[in-house]
Amino acid sequence: MFGYYLDLALRSLKRNKVLTALMVLAIALGIGTSMTTLTVMHVLSGDPIPGKSAQLFRVRMNVYPDDSFRQGDKVPDNLTRRDAEALLLAGQADRQAAMSAGAMVVVSAKGEPLRVATRYTGADFFPMFDAPMRYGAAWRREDDAGRARVAVISDALNEQLFGGADSVGQTLRVGDQSLRIVGVLGDWSMNPRFYDLSNGQFGDSEQVFVPLSTALDLKLSTSGSTSCWGNAPDPRAADAPCIWLQYWAELGTPAKAAAYRQYLQNYIALQQQGGRFTHDGQAGLLDVMQWLDAKGVVPADVRLQTWLALGFLGICLLNTVGLLLAKFLRRSGEIGVRRALGASRRAIFVQCLVEAGVVGIAGGAFGLALAALGLVLVRHQPTDYGAYVHMDLRMLLATFVLALASSLLAGLLPAWRAMHVAPAVALKSN
Amino acid sequence: MRILRQIRPILSALRSHKTAVTLLMLEIALTMAVLGNLVFIVYGTMQRSHMATGVAESQIGWIQSIGVLGQDNPGTGAENIAVLRNAPGVLDAAYGSPPFVGKETNPIFPDAARSRPVAHAYVVQGSQHMSTTLGLRIVQGRDFNDGDLPDLMDVFMKKTDTPLPALMTQALAQRLYPDGKALERILYDGRYAYRVIGIIDHLRSEVTGRANDDDALLTEYRIGAQDLGGGYLIRSRPGQLPQALKAAAAALQKANPGHVENKVHTMAELRENYFKSDLAAGRMLVAIIAILLVVTALGVSGLASFWVQQRRRQIGMRRALGATRGDILNYFQAENFLIVSGGVLLGVFFAYALNLFLMHRFELAHLPAHYLLAGALALWLLGQLAVLGPALRAAAVPPAVATRSV
Repeated sequence: MFGYYLDLALRSLKRNKVLTALMVLAIALGIGTSMTTLTVMHVLSGDPIPGKSAQLFRVRMNVYPDDSFRQGDKVPDNLTRRDAEALLLAGQADRQAAMSAGAMVVVSAKGEPLRVATRYTGADFFPMFDAPMRYGAAWRREDDAGRARVAVISDALNEQLFGGADSVGQTLRVGDQSLRIVGVLGDWSMNPRFYDLSNGQFGDSEQVFVPLSTALDLKLSTSGSTSCWGNAPDPRAADAPCIWLQYWAELGTPAKAAAYRQYLQNYIALQQQGGRFTHDGQAGLLDVMQWLDAKGVVPADVRLQTWLALGFLGICLLNTVGLLLAKFLRRSGEIGVRRALGASRRAIFVQCLVEAGVVGIAGGAFGLALAALGLVLVRHQPTDYGAYVHMDLRMLLATFVLALASSLLAGLLPAWRAMHVAPAVALKSN
Repeated sequence: MRILRQIRPILSALRSHKTAVTLLMLEIALTMAVLGNLVFIVYGTMQRSHMATGVAESQIGWIQSIGVLGQDNPGTGAENIAVLRNAPGVLDAAYGSPPFVGKETNPIFPDAARSRPVAHAYVVQGSQHMSTTLGLRIVQGRDFNDGDLPDLMDVFMKKTDTPLPALMTQALAQRLYPDGKALERILYDGRYAYRVIGIIDHLRSEVTGRANDDDALLTEYRIGAQDLGGGYLIRSRPGQLPQALKAAAAALQKANPGHVENKVHTMAELRENYFKSDLAAGRMLVAIIAILLVVTALGVSGLASFWVQQRRRQIGMRRALGATRGDILNYFQAENFLIVSGGVLLGVFFAYALNLFLMHRFELAHLPAHYLLAGALALWLLGQLAVLGPALRAAAVPPAVATRSV
């Protein structure tokens, strides 16, 4: 039966080519536009580290002194060096790392200074964020404690400085200091760069990674948000009243996360008893997706475009409803004949929907091409996320589901009207 | 008048196509809602990208000169300013950063207790000559003089409790002191106290479209014998910025062999960079507007051709009874005008509803009424253009059709 309806649909569509083309075009434009913006949305709000995002937690706490604490304020994102070092020492999570972004100038073999983006962190950073090594290995936890003069460099910097050769054991000149390269990262970038959203939310990974303890020892320059209360001549000092370090913990199971939450509460309580503050303090964990959500990583203009594109799809649907209605009712005579020969109302209804579905599939295929074109345009826009936008298999399937669903939805009313055509009247007026 | 007489038969003809007419009116109303709001957003972005910051943008360049750790560097801050000022084509120079570079608002408090902020303003700090290099216009009070300026180290180490002398924008002064007496007032941010010595007309550190863009305090400190990495500003003679900036960057590099000049930009480049993602989003919206208009035109024209086909016999009869081709053309044009008008009326409500939603979710301003008027005109025009083809085909139907069966 379905084959017969399909045949009828194709015949009918062929009979009025202009109207068919208009319907396909309307659906294709609606699908193309909305899939372009939905793909951008999907990439921006996607999971940067699938499979692990529920086990990685941003650790935040509020240890402001009483005169800076305000009830109901948000928990600050960063920790003081004192608290970060205390949590690291306690080591209550499976893995943990405090970190900060920075920049430094390294000197190439030819003696040319080169400015690079850096990350100062701990040995756990690499296994925690699944960073693969091309050559060598990450530094060890002992290196963190020993302020070892070591570094891990990115694949790109290795290419630039050493022509892509295995540079493990080579030294990286940083002013009058030198760092020994222990590892070269493989292909690794997190987009959005969730572990530190304060230095550009999208982009390549940092070029040089150095133990935080070493960076502090060498007074390497840090960047990122720092906020201090009270007198802070050196905001990086061990006891400086400044929050500036990002802290991540890996907690493999919900039970461990619960235990860690409890540990943080106890830590805050101890600080309170120690006389740092008299308020209750705040401490919390956010997993990767909660963290991205809290930081509003999806830009407002992308969310706006998504809403508008959906409205636009609605307009295209209304358009298709009108055209399908015209098409089906024009065939009242033919429908009258079929009804008179014994076709049930249901059969007419299904036949009309099959026709609408064929239009939808055609519109979806064409719309997919338009969406691909739209994404090329998005990639050429000077936005920091543009380069990372691409369509994956899920969005491809979603395109066809959306096209089919919307064309069937658009076909409902016209099909309903068509099945109520009175056979006698339709035959007579012919 | 002929058209007016036609309205009654048109309305009664439309009554027998209620569903199709309703759909078309809904489509036009939705198009109008989306179109009005989109044009409003895009126009707002374009206007913003031309908003002046209040500094002498066409003459200002910025050089970021960063110290390499452990490299000896003979240059000092004061000498660097002198070197820059002596470069050919340079009028003035200072240590600091221009609008669009790394600016954040600070909470401003009326008293030292800092319990309730009264404003969130941009606090711009720079060395001696900062205000003259930026070319700020003082409308009340005075500019900094040499005796005012505290030493950089005293400011950074916070060794002084004396309020720092500061210039305030008119907008912030009016917000904080509606009585007009802003001069000599003391106010506080999270870290320092400031004394207002003069009022400047404008200083926008960012152009976000928010009300506090033009709320700013500018303070200067004296830099001397420190080796100072960071941003340096120059102001060139009018029309000489590219050459002057190049010469200044070269001179500064020569005086600071231990520094790397990471970024050298004119204000025009900084502005372009600041707005590029907004303008990119604007271009996406323009593309959506264009496609939207095409789709709506397709819908109008598709339904009109269907009606023309359906009514061939009636058209033939009217022609046989004496109607001219012009009458038939007018009939379809008038019909389209009535449908679009209905859609436009409904569209006004839809547009305001969408605007309310966007205001709520995206800090959009209230949609001014003239955008709706423009939208209505655009849709009337679009409808007439879209119906023209089918209407011409209708007018070409020969009277003989009436005598044949369809």
